Amino acid sequence: MKRSVLMLATALSLSLGALQAQAAVSPLDLVAPIAQYKVYVTKELDAFVAATKDFTDAVKAGDLAKAKTLYASARAHYERIEPIAELFSDLDGAIDSRADDHAKKEKDPTFTGYHRIEYGLFVTNSTDGLAPFADKLMADVNDLQARVKGLTFPPEKVVGGAAALLEEVAATKISGEEDRYSHTDLMDFQANIDGAQEVYTLFKPLLAKDAKNEAFLKKVDANFASVDAILVKYKTADGFESYDKLSKKDRKALAGPVNTLAEDLSKMRGLLGLK
Amino acid sequence: MTSHPTSPHRTSSLDRRSLLKGFGALGGAAAGMLGTAAVARADDISSPVTTAPESNRTAERVDFYGVHQSGIVTPRPATGMVVAFDVLATTRPDLERLFRTLTERIAFLMQGGAPPKLDPKLPPADSGILGPVVVPDNLTVTVSVGASLFDERFGLAPKKPRHLNAMEQFPNDALDPDLCHGDLMLQFCSNTADTNIHALRDIVKNLPDLLLVRWKQEGSVPMIAARPGAKAESARNFLGFRDGSANPDSADAAVMERVVWVKGGEEPDWAANGSYQVVRIIRNFVERWDRTPLLEQEEIFGRKKASGAPFGGHTEQDVPNYAADPKGRQTRLDAHIRLANPRTSATQANLILRRPFNYSNGISKSGQLEMGLLFIAYQADLEQGFITVQKRLNGEPLEEYIKPIGGGYFFALPGVSGPSDFLGSALLAPGEPT
Amino acid sequence: MDTAPKAASPAGGPHAPSRKAMRLAIAGSGLLLVIAFAAFYWATSLASRRKAAEAGDAVAVTVTDSACEPMDLTVPAGRTTFAITNRSNRAMEWEILDGVMVVEERENIAPGITQTIAARLAAGTYDITCGLLSNPRGKLHVTPAQADAEPAAPALLAFIGPLAEYQVQLLTHAGDFATATSALAQAVQADDLERARALYGEARLSYARLAPAADLFADLDTRLDARADDFGGREQDPLFKGLHRVEYGLFAQNTTAGLRAPAEALAADAGELNQRMATLQLQPDRMVSGAARLMRRAAGLEAMGGAEKYAHSDLADIQAEADAVLGIATLLRPLAQKASPGLPARIDADGAALTALLAAHRDGTGFSSFETVAADQRAAIAAALTTLGDDMDTLGAALGLTTSGRSVQ
Repeated sequence: MKRSVLMLATALSLSLGALQAQAAVSPLDLVAPIAQYKVYVTKELDAFVAATKDFTDAVKAGDLAKAKTLYASARAHYERIEPIAELFSDLDGAIDSRADDHAKKEKDPTFTGYHRIEYGLFVTNSTDGLAPFADKLMADVNDLQARVKGLTFPPEKVVGGAAALLEEVAATKISGEEDRYSHTDLMDFQANIDGAQEVYTLFKPLLAKDAKNEAFLKKVDANFASVDAILVKYKTADGFESYDKLSKKDRKALAGPVNTLAEDLSKMRGLLGLK
Repeated sequence: MTSHPTSPHRTSSLDRRSLLKGFGALGGAAAGMLGTAAVARADDISSPVTTAPESNRTAERVDFYGVHQSGIVTPRPATGMVVAFDVLATTRPDLERLFRTLTERIAFLMQGGAPPKLDPKLPPADSGILGPVVVPDNLTVTVSVGASLFDERFGLAPKKPRHLNAMEQFPNDALDPDLCHGDLMLQFCSNTADTNIHALRDIVKNLPDLLLVRWKQEGSVPMIAARPGAKAESARNFLGFRDGSANPDSADAAVMERVVWVKGGEEPDWAANGSYQVVRIIRNFVERWDRTPLLEQEEIFGRKKASGAPFGGHTEQDVPNYAADPKGRQTRLDAHIRLANPRTSATQANLILRRPFNYSNGISKSGQLEMGLLFIAYQADLEQGFITVQKRLNGEPLEEYIKPIGGGYFFALPGVSGPSDFLGSALLAPGEPT
Repeated sequence: MDTAPKAASPAGGPHAPSRKAMRLAIAGSGLLLVIAFAAFYWATSLASRRKAAEAGDAVAVTVTDSACEPMDLTVPAGRTTFAITNRSNRAMEWEILDGVMVVEERENIAPGITQTIAARLAAGTYDITCGLLSNPRGKLHVTPAQADAEPAAPALLAFIGPLAEYQVQLLTHAGDFATATSALAQAVQADDLERARALYGEARLSYARLAPAADLFADLDTRLDARADDFGGREQDPLFKGLHRVEYGLFAQNTTAGLRAPAEALAADAGELNQRMATLQLQPDRMVSGAARLMRRAAGLEAMGGAEKYAHSDLADIQAEADAVLGIATLLRPLAQKASPGLPARIDADGAALTALLAAHRDGTGFSSFETVAADQRAAIAAALTTLGDDMDTLGAALGLTTSGRSVQ
């Protein structure tokens, strides 16, 4: 396209003394990947609503074993789209907050959502008393779906979402403190990585327009591959091994690529001309 | 450490000698030598690697006595530490003994001097970490009390300051109960971390039956090169931004009277000239912050990072004109400084005096750096002050990068008028109408 | 930019048959159209008067073979018209750049020609291009505006979010349209007249929802939505296909007989539309200009007696099209609110007025047949549609996307 060639020429011809993020892409080039990302998020949310329905139904039916099985895979949908989901902080708190976020921890009446039910299923080892939490969770998840549908995705949140997910992994998934009762952290870990990879893949062709980004893209690809290669060792038929099975060596091996991805993906916004 | 702003090397031995002479003792230089110093003479130090770093500020002294406690409007030195205690006293006389002993220890520590020499067969009276003569080193120790001191133990309930309660959990907080509240809070400030530690150890040693450490947090602020004649700059926090640019002028007694000091009438009489103290341990997610575009960092704060100037201004001291920017085109409506201080006439009532330090504590379970802001603030009205400001800040974009994990609300006692007075004397005085 | 309101035809004439039909209709139709067209002419002439006025105050820039004259310009923030004269020996384009971003551009200015370009600029320093890429760039300094000056147009970046959201909506409607038409083809195949009629309604509504963008693909729009009047042989013309051909069979002939081929072709075209929507690169101005055109086209059609000649479901179409247009306004609302604070409320009010007019003809969950709507009521609806079309022009102008439109105070 004439426009993009011109933009590229413009970018190259500007000699900016300082290190400055340069955009070889027109802002309008961002529209299609953002639209595609919304389609992705919409599909994940549809699946999240369906999975939450099955999960909460099992909780309310008192089917402890089934609820435990469904827990991690239902949450994975949420973890994939967290950059968008967490824009609604009230719902994020209601659906995904951890006991630490509440004054009285597990006993706090404001502690609700997936982790509250996780606590019941995996610590109390019972579905007793969980039905109200299940109903509230289902309502909150439906609300989330409706709100996301009406949301104009902020471009910088979409592009920045890849980095945000890696920050999430670096801050809470490496340590295994997210799913502290069920130890299903590796499922979340993979979901965060998947969600980041989706964003990255959508915008990669735009980044690839600029030959200067070649090394950057290679490095990011390699680090995603390293993370995936370690995680795949812990995959089971219906999910992942418990977090405590993650060897110390692998945990350390994950930290390098995860932190490097967080560093590198944090540059995507600037490279694409967003602030 | 950080106590030598001009040179890391030994360049001021003359200064040092004259300073030490002032205390009539050989003093600090050898104190750090421990084992090796036993055989080395002062002018025969063979290893500069282990030579004590020098400071020409160890003689700096802050008055202990006064209408108000020091350490509140006193200029903030480079290091600070807060320590919360549970009070072990169970009776009113024991509580009084606690406050009298505290008064005596703090008066000594802030004054400096030689601790008594005891029979060497006994443990020494002083930890000795500052040497045989304790230097004041700009130390202040500020004593405050928590709401729990006013429970049934001492019959102080009727005397509880109006707004003093246990700190509530705000929406972005993840408070660790082991880092919250306390019957008593001591704030130590001085030129060096070791001076604070020395003072803490003195107090712990002298009050073992009456105080139990509950939690503690040390902090410091980065020093800058001295620039004689230049305008003062606020120190930077661990997010790299200047913190304190809009602080009310602590040198202006009238302003402090309005913003910081409690007046009689609204509060129990004893509380006059005290101040509400807020302590918050606010973790900063520094790795994430360091991976955030500069423009976004600046928009989140509402200031330029390098200069500290507000948008549209040139220097840190420039006052942003929000009235001319009602839609937030220049400074986002949810920018930290704009929410914290909207600079309207109505929000003048919400001013607080901040006295923060930066802290750094090792690493999290995920291998991330545990550091952030040791937020300390004083105000005459807790409700109008910190609580109102924090409510305005709830939901601010900065929350993505910070997480308050501890702290508490306390009440800084009025000052000690002279050697015959003691901290909390008015609080414990019998006969005040209830 | 093509903003002159032409009732049925965007530039390039993909709707040539429609225009012809329109002329025929005009000849045979009464006063209403005169009124409707008077409105169009008013708007058109207003727009051209504005353009003339702008050219008079324009900042002149001459581009030679090697540079701009002058190389350094200073203008106040807000809206400025530039008159660019090409004194070089080759066709060129002229751009205002903010860093590497193109803020405004005028392409293909032939040698010896002067073109105007209007831009709404925020305070700051911009580059201007001066012919060949190898030529030095000029500087454009934009000084802060007076307090009462027009707010600056949003930067192109600000449109990314709304455009992406609009693309998602278009994809959704195109997907629904493809699904409905393929179900319709199956119902025709099964000779299920009732079901086919119901599915026709669904398909029609999905198409109405994406109508503001439908003419982006003029060939498909013609195949999908041409009316019998557009063809010499009318309903009997072998070229008559698409939605209205199926409508004719289902609602006028009351049978699925003979509809298999048209229904399958319809489904195939709908499938292609769906695919093309996925690769669409929509420009911000098309969001509003397409919406404005749609409203005026609808106004013209309703004034003429309706588009759904056999099913008479025009009111449902109009509601769906108006909703689509208002949906676009909603997506742009945060930007419009800044650029022209009174405008969103006015669009809301005009939309509500149209909806109220239509609501008078509600019948259960749907609408009464268009045949039951009296001439004066049709005129009122047409006028409300025209107003909404004008609003979208105003919105385009307020956002710095187009150059015409009424001013809002």
